Amino acid sequence: MSLPVLELQKIEKVYPGVKPLDQVDFQVLPGEVHALLGENGAGKSTLTKVIGGSTRPNGGSITYLGETVTWRSPRQARDAGIHIIHQELALFPELTVAENILIDHQPRGALGLISQRTRMRRAREVLDMLGVDIDPAARVDDLPLADQQMVEIAKALVGDLRLLILDEPTAVISGREVDLLFDRMRHLRAQGIGIVYISHRLEEIFEIADRVTVLKDGQVVGTRPVAELSRDQMISMMVGREITGIYPPKAARPPVGDPVLRIRGLASGQRVRDVSIELRAGEIVGMAGMVGSGRTEVADAVFGVGPVDGGEILLDGQPLGNHSPAESIARGIGYLTENRKGQGLFLSMPVSLNVVAPALKDVSAGPMIDAARERDIAKEQVAAFSVATPSVKTPVGALSGGNQQKVLFSRWTRISDRLLILDEPTRGVDVGAKVEIYRIIRELADKGLAILMISSELPEVVGLSDRVVVMANGVVTGEVTGDDINEDSIMKYAVASHGVTTATREVLS
Amino acid sequence: MSALIAIFRGNRLLPSYLIVLALLIIILVAGAQVSDRFLTFRNFSSLFQQMIVLGLVSLGQTFAILLGGIDLSIGALVGAVTVFLASFLEWQPHLMWVAVPAALLLGALVGAINGLLSVTLRVHPLIVTLGMSSVIFGLTLMYRKIPGGSVPIVFEELAYGSFWGVPIPALALVFFFAVAGLWLQRSRSGRMIYFVGGDEEAARLNGVPVNRVKVLAFALAGLCSALAAVFLTAKTGVGDPRIGTALTLQSITPVIVGGTILAGGRGGVLGTFLGVLLVTMLNNLLNFAGVSSYWQWVVQGGIIIIAVGLHRSRGKAQ
Repeated sequence: MSLPVLELQKIEKVYPGVKPLDQVDFQVLPGEVHALLGENGAGKSTLTKVIGGSTRPNGGSITYLGETVTWRSPRQARDAGIHIIHQELALFPELTVAENILIDHQPRGALGLISQRTRMRRAREVLDMLGVDIDPAARVDDLPLADQQMVEIAKALVGDLRLLILDEPTAVISGREVDLLFDRMRHLRAQGIGIVYISHRLEEIFEIADRVTVLKDGQVVGTRPVAELSRDQMISMMVGREITGIYPPKAARPPVGDPVLRIRGLASGQRVRDVSIELRAGEIVGMAGMVGSGRTEVADAVFGVGPVDGGEILLDGQPLGNHSPAESIARGIGYLTENRKGQGLFLSMPVSLNVVAPALKDVSAGPMIDAARERDIAKEQVAAFSVATPSVKTPVGALSGGNQQKVLFSRWTRISDRLLILDEPTRGVDVGAKVEIYRIIRELADKGLAILMISSELPEVVGLSDRVVVMANGVVTGEVTGDDINEDSIMKYAVASHGVTTATREVLS
Repeated sequence: MSALIAIFRGNRLLPSYLIVLALLIIILVAGAQVSDRFLTFRNFSSLFQQMIVLGLVSLGQTFAILLGGIDLSIGALVGAVTVFLASFLEWQPHLMWVAVPAALLLGALVGAINGLLSVTLRVHPLIVTLGMSSVIFGLTLMYRKIPGGSVPIVFEELAYGSFWGVPIPALALVFFFAVAGLWLQRSRSGRMIYFVGGDEEAARLNGVPVNRVKVLAFALAGLCSALAAVFLTAKTGVGDPRIGTALTLQSITPVIVGGTILAGGRGGVLGTFLGVLLVTMLNNLLNFAGVSSYWQWVVQGGIIIIAVGLHRSRGKAQ
């Protein structure tokens, strides 16, 4: 067995009152993709910081390439060949690809000036090493996000890269781009580079990782070869208890009655050309498709934040068209937007204000707000959805992603009784909270709400939906129901229309 | 003292305006050392009398800043309204009951136009109100180039009269701030100003009529400018197009010092009130200490920077 690239032994990190890392052993071999798995707050990011030199551990030892090291700065770790790629890319959008790649290694020519030609040549060499076809002279903000990620990885290759850490790289890209990323990761792995891969998506770990280390509450639950683990075992390790069935059982029989929502030939803005969908009470309809296929824009149009340029939208048989969100809310529609964007929540404001925000009339006497009633309703909702918050006065931005999402559920389900639109309801949420959110969604459907769920995570679409509508390029390309719902049938429609990739690229850039 | 330290450490339970309160206490203590006339009812009622104009324009500015905007037309508008009032009252001294409501309407209208322009043209209020300021100033100068007009004696009562020994401007100031504070904190439309300032996109998704709220906030800012002009005209007895010039920037100081953040969505009128009090008392203290008015400018500038620095370090501690 070859010498490990990195070996952590009994690493401890203590802050007053908390111990984010407790006796952590962690090892990365050359040419291995080692997945780091754990719920939010398990200690993944602290561990990353310790490896990268931005936090010094209180105890334990770090052995890097056979030598015991103590990083004095992130810079030192980087110069030694450790590179961390965060979700938020550290690129200068207005500079060129070449300038970004060589940001730390500007080639000097005569008179100590930066040589444009040498820079282009070096950048091209690095990009070739990575095996991607990106123009070094292009401006970074003209590139699709996936290519920007590649530029970030290319930056790491300028020096002598030995250990690459990727922190949830797939949160911002989808489908084909994920494939490209994995392909490049395998390429780097073949060159003997050790890779630490952090992700919430178990499917990806099965696809790319060789070994997995699971962290929980700052301790290592175990390190195992991925091939020896099942999906359920992995989840049990993370959550610390047995989880039987991530997804609640689906509706026993197809819903009956008139459609709650009927969209006919909808066109909206640049991205939605012709969409027809029907939803009945009590059913969960998944909406799948590549990022940029127009899914979110359909939801925007239904809720009244996007235009209705053609076709019609009927709620309970009555038209909705170029309406305001206020009207949608009054008619019983709720909309949980992607929480990553912070849309829909007032992050700096207390939980209580956020819970009642779209229905201030409910807590008002005349034009004035009744603060006591507002607090009571918030407390009730927080309890009903078991939101973990110190109080209803806590700013919502201080809560974890899963709890923010629960606040959104508690807000909308109180006032929406017809249709609930969910856009990426579990993005950035850890597995334990995901299971809870799935249960909530199913319960809401059982209570008679029609639910339209947009999601880029196929297993979740498959596991939860009674019916799946697939979009590509602004049109509905197919629909699958019941037992026909699986990842393959959905993907087939998602890439059905030609030119999908160009559309995706346009949208992402 | 430990209470003071807790404030600066950023105790969660203490609202940010307590920083200003702490500074005020320091001024009070210092004032008592400098002169025995400082801590007297007489001095304080005259302080409140002086505060009315700065207080009202800062109140107006609070609405604009809470919304995430800013109003740079305040000074020009104040000047224009004093010219309107003094000219109207010179012509019809008995029609005060027409002149004052008309002046207020004029202010609210100009403010609403600011809001409408910003909303329909999608231009930041900073630009719109900067342009508006120039337009108003130019129009006013066409009508009256030098101070002029006059007001009846009874109108001056607004500035110099008193009620049970309390100056009318002081009563008015407290009244307007109380109403504005209650409205902002407790009414639906007040809450919506916070929503739009906090996150415009989120506000839209929560069914808030964002554009209407913006127009309303700027109309209120204009209304406050007009109110300030009413008291200013009562005080000076003339209309002067240039009288408000310095007020635009001065109106921002108390708002920021009081803890309302420039990005919008956080803060409130209590902070602004304390900010106005701080600035006015500071100048008063420096007067008592015999410090030249040039130094007063310097100290005022320093206070802004220090107060905002304290707010920020508090924010980080949280």
